[in-house]
Amino acid sequence: MRINTTRFGRIDVDAADLLTFPSGLPGLEHCREWALLADADNDALGWLQSTARGDVAIAVVSPRRFVPHYQVRIPRSELTPLRLHDIRQAQLVVIVGKNATGLTLNLKAPIVINLEERTGRQVVASGDLPMAHQLDPNPTALKKSA
Amino acid sequence: MLVLSRQRDESIMIGDSIVVTIVDIRGDKVRLGINAPAEIPVHRQEVYEAIQRENLRAASLDPAETQSLGGMTARRGGSEQPSSKQQPR
Repeated sequence: MRINTTRFGRIDVDAADLLTFPSGLPGLEHCREWALLADADNDALGWLQSTARGDVAIAVVSPRRFVPHYQVRIPRSELTPLRLHDIRQAQLVVIVGKNATGLTLNLKAPIVINLEERTGRQVVASGDLPMAHQLDPNPTALKKSA
Repeated sequence: MLVLSRQRDESIMIGDSIVVTIVDIRGDKVRLGINAPAEIPVHRQEVYEAIQRENLRAASLDPAETQSLGGMTARRGGSEQPSSKQQPR
């Protein structure tokens, strides 16, 4: 399938590689089909590209590469629509956002992907987690405390 | 907005598959039970709206703005299973 994207130009994806989000995403409810692309420059980063809208793409990362102690409790009712019984069967990524200070991660509402069935949805994790966890643009500052 | 009065243990049906039940009333707080098909997400409105805003903000990100992510990866002792990503074929 060919997608004309605003960020990546024209791309070809195998229909079998696409992910179906039965409920879309909050705010993007009509975007039900996505291609998960690797970022060319950064292996920590993926892009969910909407197949229906070339201008819609969401940056996602594996959360523990940036927040090592990140743990989520996801209510079973949030996993059932994906036919997942166990979060360990799933791929979990979080959305990269931005605010005035810089890049942020939505730790409160991660995206859960059922790799076997190629389905996904955004879920709301239990507990007090930030929707815009600030990423430190200067992590080397930590090294100075040695 | 349709406004109905309900007492504890009474219910409201929305469509033919959603049932909202008053589970408890205590002071100014009402506990609601919601029975809905699994594919219909149910959330506190303010949480849903906050997620919407965050998603729309995220959808405006350009790859150039994510360059700094490369330097932010937390240092880890062991090797981590890489998250699966697909190259477009």
